[in-house]
Amino acid sequence: MISLSDFNHQHTQGSLAVSVQNLGLTYTTSIDKKPTLKSRIKSLGRGKKHTRIVQALNGVSLDVHYGTVLGIIGSNGAGKSSLMRVISGIVPPTQGRIEVHGSVSTLLALGVGFNQAMTGRENVYLGGLAAGMSRAEIDANFQAIADFSELGEAIDAPMRTYSSGMFARLAFSVAAVVEPDILIVDEALSTGDAHFKAKSLNRMKELRTADRALILVSHALATIEDLCNEVIWLDKGKLMARGNPTEVIAAYREFMNVRKSASSDEDV
Amino acid sequence: MSQPVIVYEPFKAGLPPMRAYLRSLWHRRAFISEFARSELREQNFGSVFGQLWLVLNPLLLSAVYFLLIYVIGGTSDEIRFGHLTATLFLFYLIANSLTGGVKAITSGQRLILNTSFPRVMLPVSAVVVAIFKFLPTFVVAIAIHIILGLPYSWQMLWAFPVLLISIVMALGMAIMISCINVYFRDISSMLPYLTRSLLYLSPILYEASTISASIKQFQIVNPIFYLLDSWSRVIVHAEAPTMYGLIHSSIFALSIFIVGTYFFLSRERDFAVRL
Repeated sequence: MISLSDFNHQHTQGSLAVSVQNLGLTYTTSIDKKPTLKSRIKSLGRGKKHTRIVQALNGVSLDVHYGTVLGIIGSNGAGKSSLMRVISGIVPPTQGRIEVHGSVSTLLALGVGFNQAMTGRENVYLGGLAAGMSRAEIDANFQAIADFSELGEAIDAPMRTYSSGMFARLAFSVAAVVEPDILIVDEALSTGDAHFKAKSLNRMKELRTADRALILVSHALATIEDLCNEVIWLDKGKLMARGNPTEVIAAYREFMNVRKSASSDEDV
Repeated sequence: MSQPVIVYEPFKAGLPPMRAYLRSLWHRRAFISEFARSELREQNFGSVFGQLWLVLNPLLLSAVYFLLIYVIGGTSDEIRFGHLTATLFLFYLIANSLTGGVKAITSGQRLILNTSFPRVMLPVSAVVVAIFKFLPTFVVAIAIHIILGLPYSWQMLWAFPVLLISIVMALGMAIMISCINVYFRDISSMLPYLTRSLLYLSPILYEASTISASIKQFQIVNPIFYLLDSWSRVIVHAEAPTMYGLIHSSIFALSIFIVGTYFFLSRERDFAVRL
């Protein structure tokens, strides 16, 4: 587990940011969304299965260098989010090894707001402290986060009063303002209104500097093509292709038999 | 850079690397205090007395028992009143840890799915909240002790080791139940009945010395029976706790803590995929 405060290195372009070696992830998960003791007792002796084993990633190896904007594409269940979670240290791998050379900030599917009864401000502090930042670091960044999110006075309102767009704006602001060495964004650019979408896209472009690595998961192929200088394509937990965005996306499209239609490009 | 900054590898024996885990937990102690503060603020948010409720609540509770024993019961049994309030307050430390702990992981879903941190931080935070709620009640219990004119002695310093055992017990219970609730989500709905039963089975509404030996032999399985008895001896009677009471509660506290923590740590990697 890493703290953002521990690393404020200057990284040179081309130096290694993340190295994933022969990564495998297998986990057991419950079949029911909310498993209960009651359902377990009711099904005693009926031979009903309660868990299933998921092989999310299998033999994935990849290096990400500083200065790279890596896009990850693939269909639902391809292992994109699993890969992001393993690189961020949220789920430990079952096989292989991951080396991370720098501070990581993650903006995965859900973002901030872990206690909805608390205010946006409290949630930003709690999220930051949980990620290993110090109170002083959050103090220093808080105004910028609040300004970027454009929430105004709502930052001091309980988060249960937030709309989904407000949630997403705050989450993106936290991840993007902190200026980590490695920023991991999972499907998070697709929320918020057109204005905020454009703003977050611009911010992503600003963060594309030589001493930073960005990893971006999205179904929006046009955005990936626009932002990234390298793309990997995952399918059923395996690395299918890696390389130039245009070529990999073309191969993926061909594989998926998806033509460049408005529906797949509409959302960023 | 020749040295990798951080390495993620499969867990050995199902447990995370403990030294790094504890270091990471210590590094995030500010989270625990911030969480406790926000949680208490939020629970009393918008009420007229705000944080004053932390003191008002135990005062009102003891007022109810005062009414019950002195006014309705018509007796002036200082020992009984002192025992009831003191043990009830300690019981609430355990009960609040359980209630706070049970949903610590399931309600921390967003944080768990998005951030890498030692998950045990969440049930520990719930116990810290329970301790913050307990401290004012301790002051109220002392005040009641003085007003009632109950005995004093140096033996009352035993309160600190007994309190320490209680906190270890509360931590163990909170950590264990938070993990069980990930696998069986209905545990949180059963918990009020569990704590209510524990309340009646423990020497709170009665003193341990008043129950018959045949019933008392079953109390060996109640983890908090001798803990509350020791607390009552120390705080109310100003006596030293019995050696048996201390050993019984210490063994239970340590066992629950060790088993609960092991269970939690060995399952922790599953949380992000089970929530």
